[in-house]
Parts: sequence; C-alpha cells; structure tokens
Amino acid sequence: MMQLHDLSVEFDEGFQLKHINWQVEQHQHWLITGANGAGKSALAAVLAGYGEILAGSTSGIPSNIGWVSFEAQAELIQAELKKDDADILDVISLGTPVREIIFTNEVDPVIAQDLIHKFELNYLLERAFRKLSTGESRKVMLIRALSCHADLLILDEPFDGLDSAAHTMLQGHLIDVVKHTPVVMVLNRFDEIPGFISHIAYVEHGELRHQVKRQDTKAYDELYQLLHLKTTDLQVPTADTENSIPTLDPKKPLVKLNNISIKHTDMVLIKDLDWCIQPNENWQLSGPNGSGKTALLSLITGDHPQCYTNDIYVFGYQRGNGESIWQIKQYIGYVSTALQWEYRVGTSLRNVIISGFYDSIGLYSRSSDRQKEIADEWLALLGMGNRGDQPFNKLSYGDQRLLLIARAMVKHPPLLILDEPCLGLDDINRQLVLALIEKICAARETSVIYVNHHAQDRIVGINNYLALEKSSDNS
Amino acid sequence: MSNNYFNTLPLREQLEQLAKCRFMHMDEFTEGVDALKGKKMVIIGCGAQGLNQGLNLRDSGLDVSYTLRQSAIDEKRQSFKNASENGFTVGTYEELIPTADIVLNLTPDKQHSPVVEAVMPLMKQGACLSYSHGFNIVEEGMKIRDDLTVIMVAPKCPGSEVRAEYVRGFGVPTLIAVHEDNDPQGHGLALAKAYAVGTGGHKAGVLMSSFIAEVKSDLMGEQTILCGMLQTGSLLCFDKMIDKGVDAGYASKLIQYGWETVTEALKYGGVTNMLDRLSNPAKIKAFDLSEELKVIMRPLYNKHQDDIINGTFSRTMMADWANDDVNLLGWRAETGETAFEKTPAGDMEISEQEYFDHGILMVAMVKAGVELAFETMTAAGIIADSAYYESLHETPLIANTIARKKLYEMNATISDTAEYGCYLYNHACLPLLGDFMKDIDTDVIGRGLSSDDNGVDNARLIEVNEALRSHPVEAIGATLRGHMADMKKIV
Repeated sequence: MMQLHDLSVEFDEGFQLKHINWQVEQHQHWLITGANGAGKSALAAVLAGYGEILAGSTSGIPSNIGWVSFEAQAELIQAELKKDDADILDVISLGTPVREIIFTNEVDPVIAQDLIHKFELNYLLERAFRKLSTGESRKVMLIRALSCHADLLILDEPFDGLDSAAHTMLQGHLIDVVKHTPVVMVLNRFDEIPGFISHIAYVEHGELRHQVKRQDTKAYDELYQLLHLKTTDLQVPTADTENSIPTLDPKKPLVKLNNISIKHTDMVLIKDLDWCIQPNENWQLSGPNGSGKTALLSLITGDHPQCYTNDIYVFGYQRGNGESIWQIKQYIGYVSTALQWEYRVGTSLRNVIISGFYDSIGLYSRSSDRQKEIADEWLALLGMGNRGDQPFNKLSYGDQRLLLIARAMVKHPPLLILDEPCLGLDDINRQLVLALIEKICAARETSVIYVNHHAQDRIVGINNYLALEKSSDNS
Repeated sequence: MSNNYFNTLPLREQLEQLAKCRFMHMDEFTEGVDALKGKKMVIIGCGAQGLNQGLNLRDSGLDVSYTLRQSAIDEKRQSFKNASENGFTVGTYEELIPTADIVLNLTPDKQHSPVVEAVMPLMKQGACLSYSHGFNIVEEGMKIRDDLTVIMVAPKCPGSEVRAEYVRGFGVPTLIAVHEDNDPQGHGLALAKAYAVGTGGHKAGVLMSSFIAEVKSDLMGEQTILCGMLQTGSLLCFDKMIDKGVDAGYASKLIQYGWETVTEALKYGGVTNMLDRLSNPAKIKAFDLSEELKVIMRPLYNKHQDDIINGTFSRTMMADWANDDVNLLGWRAETGETAFEKTPAGDMEISEQEYFDHGILMVAMVKAGVELAFETMTAAGIIADSAYYESLHETPLIANTIARKKLYEMNATISDTAEYGCYLYNHACLPLLGDFMKDIDTDVIGRGLSSDDNGVDNARLIEVNEALRSHPVEAIGATLRGHMADMKKIV
C-alpha cells in the first residue's frame, strides 16, 4: 500500500503540490486527471521520486518504477542533443543507437525483444535515438518502462503520439501487465480511459480535489462535465496590417511537390509523391509512426536538406534558386512536438507569440506596439491575459502547446501546418484549439495542413486527405 | 619550408595589426548577402564547421557545393556522406575549384598548407580564398597568388551551435578579417560581411579584426586558460583530494562537472558573478588563492604569449607535425593514463551550489587563468574585445567538454594546435604549482570550509569585492555581454 500523508512538494519551476492525502491500495489502478497546469504530471512524478518534499511524508512507494512521460522523454532527448554539440572543432556526433537506449542493465531482454517486435521497431535498433520521430521515441520509452519488472508503472499520457496500431497493441498489452503490476496513469482525454482503471484522482491548482471510484457513476459523470466546460464564442485577433506578408498570386498553388522522394542511407522514406495545395484548400495528413509525415512537411517548410534535391515549388519560389528559408517561412505558421522541444527559451509569453511574426525561436528583433497589442489579445483569448511577462519555459506542457499554436496563427499565414497540435492537451484545451482551427479554416484566408492520429479530432472545413503508408523497403 | 609572416613585418605594422578589433554595428550589414548572390561558393572539408556553415549559407540563398580529395570520395568517408546526404553537390578539386568564385577552406590547421597548395593553381583569376583561422597565413607564411582575395570568417562557436542558432533565427558571434596583402579588388570586406550574414553571425555580433590579432589571441587563449589551466587544475585537484582521503568517485565527479558548473556562472556575469556564488569567507579565500596563483603563474603566461608572438610555438609544433606527431600522440596517451582520467565519477548527488562550496580552489584557478590570459594578451597589444572572447567567453564551452568525457573529450574535440599547446602548458605548470599545492587542504578542494566560522572582516570583504569588480576583463565583459543580451532579448 502506498501512502502520501499531508504531503507538500515543490518542483524546480516553483510549482507546488499542497497537502496531498492519497492512499493507493494493492490491486487498485489509478487515473490522475485535471486541466493543463493543474499538477497531474507533478503528482505522478512525486511517485517517481521527483520534487522536494516540504512537509508531510510518504510510505510504501517501491523503488523499482517504470515511468513514461513527456518530461522523461524530453529529458532523454535533451541529453542526446547535448551529446550532439560535442564538437568544438570538427567531429560530427552520431548519437546513441536505439539498441543501447533500450538494453540497459535494468531491462529484461526477453520482454524488451518481444515488445520491440510488437511495436515493429526492429528495423531502427541501430539508428541514433535522437533521429527518431516523436512516436518512435515514445515507443522506445514504453519498451524500457514495460520490460524492467517494475513494482509500479507510472504512465503519463502513454497513448499520445502513437499511431492506432500501436495504441491498440499497448492497450492489449497493459491488460496483461495490470494483473501483476499496479498502474498509475495520467490522461488528458477522458474517452481513452482503459477498462482496468479502478479509481480516478482529480487535481486542480496543485491540490488533490476529488477521488472517485470508477463504479460511482454519478461522481464519474460530474468529473467528466468538469473537464468539458463549454468554451464561449471565440474571436480570433486580427493580423498585423502594418507589417503584412507580401501577397501571393491567388491563381498559383501554394505548394506543388513534383515526384518527390526522401531517402535516408538505410531506407527510402517517401517515393515518387505528388502533392499540390491550392489557396484555401484544407488538408488532413495521416499515416502510421515513421511513415514520413513530419519529413514531408519539413520539405515544405525548408527544414529538410533534401528540399534542395527535389522539385519543389512553394509560395512563388522554385526551391534552390537563391531564395532564403526566411522568405519561405514568412508564409507558414507551424506547430509540432519537435518545435516545442526546440523552443527551450526563457523569454516571456508575450515574446513567444510575437516571435511568430519573425519565425524565430526566441525573439531577436524589435517588435512594434501593434504586435504587442495583438499578442496581448491572443493571451487573453487563451486565458493567460495577466501572465504576459512570465517566462515560457516555466509553463506546463499543455500551456506551452497553446502558446505555440497562438504563435503559429498570429500572423494569419497563408499556410498553417499543425503537426499533431492536440498532443498533450486536456479536453477543454483540445476543444479550444479545435475551435480556433475551425475559425481559421472558416475565415478562408489560411490553408491548413492538419496532421493527427485521432480520428475523432475531425475538423469542419477539411475536405482533402493525404494518407501516407509506411515504406516497405525499410529493412 | 615555412616563413613566419608576422616576423617579416616591421614593429609598427605588427603593433597595428595586433590592435585591430572593432565591434561592428548592425547598420553595416544592410546589404545582406548581396555581395555573394549568384556567386559559386565551394567549401573544402565537410566536418562540423564545414557542414554547418554550408547548411546556413545555402538556407540564406547562396550557391554552395563541397570539394573533397578524390580518396575521400572514392572511400565514401564521413565527410563525403555528410555533404552528399544533405543534398550538396560533391566533386574533386579539379572538378569544382576552377568554377568557384569563393573557396572556403574549412579543413583542420594541419592540412592548410597542402590543401592550399593543391587548390591555389586551380582557382580562377580574381577569385576569393576564405579561412576560418589565420594560422596558415600568419604562422606558416603561406603566400597567396596576388590576384586572389583572402578573407577570414570565424564563428566563435562549435559547428553544431553555428547551425542550431541559425535555425532559431539568430546566430553566433563571429570574427571577420581581410588579409590586406591580398585584397586586389578592394572588396574583401564586402565579401566577409556577406559571408557573416549568410551564416547568421551578424545577428549575434561581428568583430572586425586582422589575421594576426586572431591567430595570436586564439593560440594564447586556447593553450593557457581554456585547455591548459583546466587540464592542470583537474590533475592537481584530483591528486590532492585522493591524498587527503576524499572518496575517489566523489573527487572525480566534483572535477568533471565542477568546471562546467562554476564557469556557467562566469558566462552569465563574469568573474565577479562566479565569485559571488561563494559564501563571504569562501570568496575571500578564493580571491587570496587566485592572487597567489597569479604571482606564481604570470611568468608562464608571459612565456606562452612571447613564444606565440615570436613564432617559437608554431615552429616547435610544426616540427612535431613533420615528425609524425610523435610528441602530440605521446602526450595524448599520457593524459589518458592519469588517475583522474581513469577514475569514474561516483553516482552520489552533488548540488549545483556544492560544486562552488567544495571547489573553491577550482574557482580560484579559473579566475587566475582568465585574468592572467586577458592581462597578458592586452599587454601584448591585443584589444580587450578580442582578449575577452579568447579567454572568458570560451571557457564555459571547453568546460562543457570535460563534463562530457573528461580530458579525453576535451582534447579530442579541440584542434590539434590547441591540444599541443595545452600539453606544453600542463608540463610547465604542474611542477610550477608543486610548492603551492603542498599547503592546500580539503577546506578549499573536496570538503569546503567548516560552517562554524562564517564571519568576515568588513573592510577586507569590501576590498575584495572592489578588486573583483574593477578588473578590466569585467568592464569589457559587461559591455560585450550587454550587446549579446540586447540582440538576444527583445529591446
């Protein structure tokens, strides 16, 4: 039996959990839920030994814990990125291969091998961990946690970023695991609660506000309502008319990819693909993890080096003819999990939104008063009206995501690329984001490319679909 | 045989060249990359600098390709893969050099002479040859064809950061220079500025310097404070702790991560901030130790600077190049065998503050090294801005490599030139500090001052604070860090 007795804990960012009284009995499986920034992940992290105990006590928390979370994933990726700038002069770091990341001393190689097989990761064991896509690196984290014979599994948003095949596989696998291992799960999406969850903890402002048994249907429904607070009608702030983007020829396509291919040394990711996006067309892009969705988008944004070796026409430029990437990026708003990992900046919330006018990570240009006003309108819309001067890197994961979506939309770009924008958001914020995207689609001045795994996140106004398949010759 | 260029100049010109250094204004870059638009840029070498600079230049709309030796292409070496997998055209010297308007030599120092001798006859009339370090011109006295323009563009950061900062929409501080003997069309500066814009350097600050000032300050910084002091300090501090019975794993960890932790404070607020992280008694202790160290080590810093200025250093090193690097490789192996290098860091927790509290001597060594390097460089006629970048600014970058894999990583990632100088320094400095170390105990390295005595004399504390804050490296540091912060943050 694990017990937290009147526990107060402080985290690096100054965030506090206060007076937590919580008891987890043998054979119980808990779900922790709440709004973004409420302290869900913090409560889970306490079990994993994080945070500084200010008062109260804990007992019975096992030492061998399997922990999966965005924070843990980001930590590992950051450690890998740190290795990457190992060159003072002239060495290119190749990064740690996936095999080494998975097969540590704590891991049972038989279970790990089985999971590698089930997740279909065999083909990338030798690849550098930091080169994996978001979903792929998430799978690696899961394999590590699930194969260490843990006495407690802490799964913070385990399904986020997984394609539907992996999602189903993991759900099935967990049904076996919970027979002998207690699970504490953190989930933003109520509709994903697995059947084995027996208790729900609702966290708000760092306090454990409600503890509900699954069988208590009335309490359960109320909790669901609480997370589903209806958003009022949204008004999207206007663009900055003083510094507008150069206009495009409305008769020409925004993007035209002709017979493009993306090749890596060990595989062909995309082969002979044509894609044309006309002004005011909205697209949904889907495909399993590792099918090349993000790589394809980075050909358009100019972030993939092979944009110079393919026949690519974007925003009036045939790529590779003396245009700079900043001339391309000015037409694009972009959000992805990778961007969030790169956006490790201590600048203020207001500046993060303003940086969308300059396509920079951090702000390095003098901004106008009008741009500051617009940024403040966006902050108000997101319910952060009085937090404009706070530092971005102290925000919760979900709040950061909302800010980056506002950053992508702030200049009303002709093309808005949303690469799994709802990853890491709770129900309320997810609805807020989807509503924002629908408004943008309806305004018909922006074309949207929307990438997601969740079929239920359909957006009104999207009627073009591109589905990528996993390349077959990737052995 | 080489002929030291610097030594051929009259004193008046030597002094003038050494003193060249000016922080350029943003307005000087309004023409962007125009001077290079449509020009063919061919990069020799595709290591971290070569690749990342090339990626930036291409993303700025410039025409970039890579030339490698035939053997590197045939054997598909890493440099070939770096370039071709990123979608660049790769060709031999014969194929690409004759088409180039500007040739960017981004190979290691040691290869400069053979590389330049091989490409120069192939370069077209009136083209430009660019370096990122001036060793070949200044120390080896390479004579470049009269019709060619010779410039230098040197980002003051590792290649990976040159790329990462560009992608964020920023850049890294960059030094540019024109070799005045080779500027027949008078457009060297325009090309260098456009190149700096192409790599994003103009956003983070550009120093206009000379080949000579760059070489003489770069060599001095890397072999004394940056690499030499950290290596000598690591070995002495570790052996002392072991001698006094400190746990070996703890001692190893304190040093491996200690340099990075204490110099992080240096990066934000100079020597003053680093010392301010200590308690008052510890600060005074560190100050006193560093004063003592400065007296003992000053002749050594002077000797390094003198040998660099008069060419003794480069002559000795080039003799070792010619002798198959026997000295370098031997010293590298010796470093690998030291007790510090062979003792793995323990898995105990050491808090950020503990690195300061238990590493008072390390703080004192960094302070003494930074100030001595700065003082010696400026006394030799190098401008304070240059001296700051080559001492204090780069110390955290090198400390970071020790945190990764100790001295091995540091020596593997710095240039061979820096590594050679580092060993020279270490060999001289270890015996020099022998007597000093005899009086050292674990209160200043390993265990910290005893907490029952936290009192200090007011007058002495005021004196120490005043001395810290009034050192000239602090004044220039505040100004230059201010420039960076202005550009980095919103104004």
